[in-house]
Amino acid sequence: MWVMVMFDLPVVGKAERKAAAEFRNTLLDLGFEMAQFSVYMRFCSSHMQVDTYGKRVESVLPEGGRVNIIQFTDKQYERIITFRGRAKQAANKTPDQFDLF
Amino acid sequence: MIGRIVEVADDRRHLFVTRGFMVVQEQGSERKELGQVPLDDIAALIANAHGLSYTNNLLVALAERGIPFVLCAANHNPVGILLSTGGNYQQAKRFDAQIRATRPTTKRLWADLVRAKLQQQASTLEAAGAPSAPLTALVAKVRSGDPDNLEAQGARRYWSLLFGDQFRRDRALGGVNSILNYGYTVLRAAVARAVIAAGLHPTVGLHHSNEFNAMRLVDDLMEPFRPVIDLNVWHLHRNGKGEVSPETKRYLVRSLYDDMQTNAGATPVLVCTQKLATSLAQVFLGERKTLDLPLAGLPLALAATLDNE
Repeated sequence: MWVMVMFDLPVVGKAERKAAAEFRNTLLDLGFEMAQFSVYMRFCSSHMQVDTYGKRVESVLPEGGRVNIIQFTDKQYERIITFRGRAKQAANKTPDQFDLF
Repeated sequence: MIGRIVEVADDRRHLFVTRGFMVVQEQGSERKELGQVPLDDIAALIANAHGLSYTNNLLVALAERGIPFVLCAANHNPVGILLSTGGNYQQAKRFDAQIRATRPTTKRLWADLVRAKLQQQASTLEAAGAPSAPLTALVAKVRSGDPDNLEAQGARRYWSLLFGDQFRRDRALGGVNSILNYGYTVLRAAVARAVIAAGLHPTVGLHHSNEFNAMRLVDDLMEPFRPVIDLNVWHLHRNGKGEVSPETKRYLVRSLYDDMQTNAGATPVLVCTQKLATSLAQVFLGERKTLDLPLAGLPLALAATLDNE
């Protein structure tokens, strides 16, 4: 399972920019990776975990923004077509239970 | 939640923390990022190479989350595990109960663990197509505290039935022994984490009494799960994969995610270890009588793959 957090936050005033930066950093602390500037994604191993992270994101929402939380399956994640510039990127892979570096 | 096992097995790696991630870099003329793993998703970090470097920040972040950091020597044997000092909010209370546990209780619990181990060994033999009767016969004979040391008697029969008469279980040898070492390392890290998370002290054991072993309780509690690793090693060996390699490691780490039968249904080995440790804490506190052990029988997925062959 994957969770995607997409947001548009007001960044006109200084306080708003600070709140937006804090929100972004909290997403990183929770283990969300940046996919695009205002799109963050995280892998979850169960529905229960999806709920947990959904609630955690909810608890740190900034004022006056618009945030969408989308869930999708591993298969759907693998079917994402990604371009960088004109070049097509290799398909995404869902993480394994074992990481070897 | 079931976490990920992360192993660093190549020299010239640098590990550090950025926000909620552990980042792995390759050290060279130019530092290249190899990947990152969310800290909250890590079940254990295994350091299995010589030229690694890590920041203090990383070790703190791991300890805060109760993630064991396992240091391995050249032969893949673990030589140390870094664990947090405060794993459970009731820790002090549970330590007290653990230390106060009476001899009859610890002896009874050890007998239960030996019985479970013998049963699992019999299942492993059955799956490997070897006679399991010699071990099944021992199960009923285990007395409180295992004074006849049926565990060792069982082991003697077990290894020769599983890997043939020439096989000798010796930690210092290579081949099958080295893959077993590796599998046990991963299992030990998982059980160590479960023990700490249950608020128990890893050094205060039930049966293991080596005064140089700081992980006596961990070694007690991992006994019933060893046969799962053994069977996977047997499977690798039979397919001609008798050495430690990225492929065999990946295969062995997967055994932690195999489902075992329990009273509450099928659950991954990793979760079984947590249930066992928690139930032990509850026995010490007088909240229950018996341990929550896996039932006899194989991990389901593994049994299915063997059937298909």
